[in-house]
Amino acid sequence: MSNLVQTITQSRIWRSFFRHGWPDNPLDRSLVMTSNIFFHLHPVKVNRKSLRASYTLGLGVMAVILFLELTLTGMLLMFYYAPTVERAYTYIVALQTQTPYGQLLRNLHRWGAHLMVLVVVLHMARVFYTGAYKPPREFNWVLGVGLLLLTLGASFTGYLLPWDQLSFWAITVGTSVAGYAPVLGSTAKAYLLGGPEVGQEALTRFYALHVMLIPLGIALITSIHIWRVRKDGGLAANDDR
Amino acid sequence: MTNIPTRTSFSKSSGKTYTLVELVHRAPAQMVDHGPDNTVFAFPVVALLELLLTLGVSAVLLFMSLTINAPLEEIANPNQTTDPAKAPWYFMGLQEMLEHGHPTLMAVVIPTILVLFTLAIPYIDNDRQGSGRWFTSERGKRIARNTAIYALLVMPAFILLDNSFPPRELLRGIVPDFVAQTLIPGAIMTAIVIAPLLVLRRSKPNAREVVLTLFTLMFVSAIVFTLTGFLFRGPGFELYWPWNMPDGYNPFLNL
Repeated sequence: MSNLVQTITQSRIWRSFFRHGWPDNPLDRSLVMTSNIFFHLHPVKVNRKSLRASYTLGLGVMAVILFLELTLTGMLLMFYYAPTVERAYTYIVALQTQTPYGQLLRNLHRWGAHLMVLVVVLHMARVFYTGAYKPPREFNWVLGVGLLLLTLGASFTGYLLPWDQLSFWAITVGTSVAGYAPVLGSTAKAYLLGGPEVGQEALTRFYALHVMLIPLGIALITSIHIWRVRKDGGLAANDDR
Repeated sequence: MTNIPTRTSFSKSSGKTYTLVELVHRAPAQMVDHGPDNTVFAFPVVALLELLLTLGVSAVLLFMSLTINAPLEEIANPNQTTDPAKAPWYFMGLQEMLEHGHPTLMAVVIPTILVLFTLAIPYIDNDRQGSGRWFTSERGKRIARNTAIYALLVMPAFILLDNSFPPRELLRGIVPDFVAQTLIPGAIMTAIVIAPLLVLRRSKPNAREVVLTLFTLMFVSAIVFTLTGFLFRGPGFELYWPWNMPDGYNPFLNL
């Protein structure tokens, strides 16, 4: 058995995938992190203080997890959806009644979205109350505020897609607020809705924003956000002596 | 070779990659009981913690999704308004604000100020000391707690008083609309924000303590307004007890 394992892990094919040995020694444990694209945002070694659950509450990682799960469930939902006024609602009904696990899939996406908004807000409060925005982390705080606004935007644009009474009136109420802003407000509202009221144009635009533009923005800024955590010296917990 | 400075001077343009950032005051020279640097390998420790967190979050999400169905009402009908017509829950604070003043003030000016303030926090409080600790100090903790209590008392009182005696209605025709809808609510809001700062000023606060006060006031007020709009507003956007809504209206069915 161990012979087989050795043959596989020392084969040229295996070695072309993984450039490190079994991670039971400091060198290979370092290489796991630095030679893997998914791990390389982590440092090789982390300070014990930054792992205290009572410090981070795990909120930032939870936000990333929820974002990934929303991406996954969202992609699956796209197979059963069409952003047209005539068909969107019937697709949702069909998803819930005829597609295996369709209702569960929609539930996961909806509750995941609410949880993500909640977790991102709590993450901001955690960072503020631990003073983790202080220099040299000012710019990462600014990125974080941007991510909070993008998260709200992602949730808000997704809210319209089922095209039921709840989503239609929530978006009507929500976008009418934008119209109150002088000068820019009416322009922003016109761009968002593509017309005087919530209709096909609004549905098309909200769909494009929801499945493409906003998730890409979140993915990009999250990458910078996490990278900056490392560049700014890890979690602020390390600063406290 | 062009990148290598030819002169070893400390002029700003020398291209050196190091600098004297600051003198560290409190850091002890020795790290007794801490090992050389008090660190652990990210693999497997952090990787396992993240896996555990993934399993935990997924379990909570799956449990919710198995027990509660996402709401779906009738197909959208632009000709038939729902009552109440509410924005998603995280915008209910904004919608609640609209009940208490002119929309430009409540939905545009104040939110813009709040976002700009949030962005400016690290530039207002730019002292490196005191990061990485909850509330920074015992005094910071007290300030945050007192401000939270203050906001929890003042904001519901404001909502209830303004709901019972709305200056917009009572002063209609007596003073210009701008005074009743924008100046008066704006002045009340300003007073609510300034009052704790005046109290704080007597004990010579640092920048961290000022932003602790302002952020806590903003955060707790946002929670109060969001909960009021989401839980306590029923048909006609009137205030009710959540358990006593007319027409069997249940805000949780509209999440």
